[in-house]
Amino acid sequence: MFRPRRSTLAVLAAVLPLTLSACGGDGAGGAAAGGGAPVQGGTLTFAVNSEPLALDPHTSPQDVTAIFTRPILDSLVSQEKDGTIKPWLATSWEISPDQRSYTFKLRQDVKFTDGTPFDAAAVKANLDHIVDPKTKSQLAASQFGPYQDTEVVDRYTAKVNFERPHSPFLNVLSTVFFGIHSPKELAKGPAAQASNIVGSGPFLLEKYTAHQSATYRRNPDYRWAPPTSSHQGPARLDRLEIKMLVEDSVRYGALTSGQVDAILAVPPSSLRLAEADKRLKVDRVPVGTYSYFLNTTHGVFTDPKVRDAFRSSVDFKTLVDKLYFGAFTKAYSPLSPQAPGYDKGTESQWGFDAAKANRLLDEAGWTARDGEGYRTKDGKRLTLRWPILKALDRESRVTLSEQVQAEVKKVGFHVDIQNVTFNEYLVKYGKAEYDLLDYSMRADADSLRSLFDTGNITKGPRLTQNAARYSDKEVDGWFQQALASSDAKTRLELYEKVQQKVIAQSVVVPVYVQSTLVGRNAKVGGITFEPQGFPLFQTAWIGRG
Amino acid sequence: MAETAPPAVKAPVRSHRRPSRITGRAARRAAVRLATSLLVFWGALTASFFALQAIPGSTVDALLGNNDASMEVRQQIISDYGLDRPLHAQYLTYVGRALLGDLGRSYQLDQPVTGAIGAAIVPSLQLTAAGLALGLAVATALALATAHRRRAVRSISSGVELVGVSVPVFWAAILLLTLFSFRLGWFPAVGGDSVAALVLPAVAIAIPVTAVLTQVMREGLERALDEPFVLTARARGMTDAAVRLRHALRHALLPVVTLVGWLFGALLGGIVVTEKVFGRPGLGRLVVDAVVTKDLPVVLGVVICTAALYIVINIALDLFYPVIDPRLRGVS
Repeated sequence: MFRPRRSTLAVLAAVLPLTLSACGGDGAGGAAAGGGAPVQGGTLTFAVNSEPLALDPHTSPQDVTAIFTRPILDSLVSQEKDGTIKPWLATSWEISPDQRSYTFKLRQDVKFTDGTPFDAAAVKANLDHIVDPKTKSQLAASQFGPYQDTEVVDRYTAKVNFERPHSPFLNVLSTVFFGIHSPKELAKGPAAQASNIVGSGPFLLEKYTAHQSATYRRNPDYRWAPPTSSHQGPARLDRLEIKMLVEDSVRYGALTSGQVDAILAVPPSSLRLAEADKRLKVDRVPVGTYSYFLNTTHGVFTDPKVRDAFRSSVDFKTLVDKLYFGAFTKAYSPLSPQAPGYDKGTESQWGFDAAKANRLLDEAGWTARDGEGYRTKDGKRLTLRWPILKALDRESRVTLSEQVQAEVKKVGFHVDIQNVTFNEYLVKYGKAEYDLLDYSMRADADSLRSLFDTGNITKGPRLTQNAARYSDKEVDGWFQQALASSDAKTRLELYEKVQQKVIAQSVVVPVYVQSTLVGRNAKVGGITFEPQGFPLFQTAWIGRG
Repeated sequence: MAETAPPAVKAPVRSHRRPSRITGRAARRAAVRLATSLLVFWGALTASFFALQAIPGSTVDALLGNNDASMEVRQQIISDYGLDRPLHAQYLTYVGRALLGDLGRSYQLDQPVTGAIGAAIVPSLQLTAAGLALGLAVATALALATAHRRRAVRSISSGVELVGVSVPVFWAAILLLTLFSFRLGWFPAVGGDSVAALVLPAVAIAIPVTAVLTQVMREGLERALDEPFVLTARARGMTDAAVRLRHALRHALLPVVTLVGWLFGALLGGIVVTEKVFGRPGLGRLVVDAVVTKDLPVVLGVVICTAALYIVINIALDLFYPVIDPRLRGVS
């Protein structure tokens, strides 16, 4: 059975100012409107809100690494908004009847920007590189699951073998976390990839300065854009620059003053201003869900009634609307609404009901109150331990946690928000010393398994992502059926049942749907988005004046 | 010439008669200074080594990253990095290597620590030096202009200084950016390489520096201006400006120089906020990332480097005192 195990850092990636990108395949995307007719040439300057800890997407789990390297790296396959897999560097593929082998036929006209030709040996070098311990992969290797090896059948045919069927393979293969580097560059070792990435993509990296920026030049030979791209041939821009401006007000100020042409993550508080500004345009791309995971094996949340009471005692809709000015919307399922397999039924499954919360807590035996108004049972206060890395706060999540703390106090919960360091967080996570943990998932249906499969409860030193420590035989069975099923429709139906059940059992409290908010000068056009919400610049242009 | 000089001209006579005593004293002072410096250096190294050990969480986990690494791979990495050896052995190896200038390899950055620090230290030093120079220049001008002036002038000046010291760098930086970059467009908010991009961050860190230095310098100036030699100078017909510049300023500079040495270390330590707001690379960013990822060699490397810089600057300033104050040339 496939048990995706994610590392410490991959788990944290979901919590920290990096969103974990799980297996691809949600339905976001589409071209950004505006910007007039496409223009050839020019330089586009784009500013992002976080910084890569590692530049090689085989190593890093970070969104921002994907944004920095997608201009450089192509993938074997591409993905439509609806999740359909299309060719890219591979022209076609066959899956063996036992679903353990994928045979890819490759394009024969592709060249890396260092002159190395693309072939089956390059594919093998890359796939082996992902699982090489020296790569220290924090995401791609775990998404690769039971990868066995790659055979070079002939110069342009590569066969990828697995120990057991692994149906999410083509989905993850389409992401830049499985991007194809020049094998010549890979051979130089991880130290080289820390500051330089060489691929066959529409741009080539000129200079990367950590904590500052990356500059790119157009690859004039680029003739292998994926069929999912709205523009074939070399990129329209001559040059691209991506800057790291982590401070929200600085990034937004740089956009409004014309010092950069487009930014990732328009601050929610500036969203209305930006939308009212005629010189600016904002593209919204829903990408994932931010949720609270309730510890079902330790502490007060082992009682489902207490979990339900917690969830019912907060008016999340009002909190989210007030705090994010409409930039983010209330979530109902751990999947985001645009993701294939999203179960709309969850929207009527739960909501704010303080009377119900009080009744449930009474039923659960938390009937007495102490001097401060908190509920108690057998002299013990109804306390929730909530470790938060305040130093790495983003999207005003700390503010939100304090508002939730004030709301649930009304029905008698005492929330102990613990401001912890990164390492304390790891220890608490590993030892299950928490009642509630919050993080966001760039969730597609397959990633539900890492959130709720029994196999993903943390045991031993390595942390895995089932923070609710949820274990249910029926749900595990649905996951196994989904893994073995090659029919997408059957899989999605199984995942809908999973959503119903975890919501019914109050294992997870979805809080808000995250959107990528790209703000751009009106003269910028053609920025498109991958299904995971990452911006693509091969299609982009910048008007004169 | 020295033999025929009148006794009033002291210096040449003294240099003729007592050269060995002066150099001997200087050498002893340098030796004491070096010994205390090494002690400071060792203290910084030891304190940070053990502080990092005290942080919960396993270095191996931070180091491995790879979730599916087998037990053998885990063991291999543990022994490669010497993490299986007792703490005191790790510590001794570390101190030994550090003395030889080998700071080891970063766990996370896939490069030698010296390389990572070398790349980060240049922009940090540029910023710190620019901020200090600016602060010193403005403080000198302000102190000269306000010392022993009317009560109103001095109260206004003290008030402004108090605000300057109290303003958080973060807030000042955002304010400067909003006004001079986003509104007026005089300086770029982004772009770390140009001199123009250095102006606003330098001003941001110069604000508290100026405020502190002005106060100290004005106090020194006022004390000097009350000395009898000032009265003598004025009696000889010197203008007020000349008295302040030529006589009083030297007296006021001594405590300022001491303070600059300390400020240098303080600024370098607190530089991360400015670096973050202005999107600049540097030592602050490097060390914060390293602490977050438990990248021990980098943290220790930065501590050692900062301590060494601090020591060098302070020795240089020590040597600089006699230049300002001739009275110090003969005594220790």
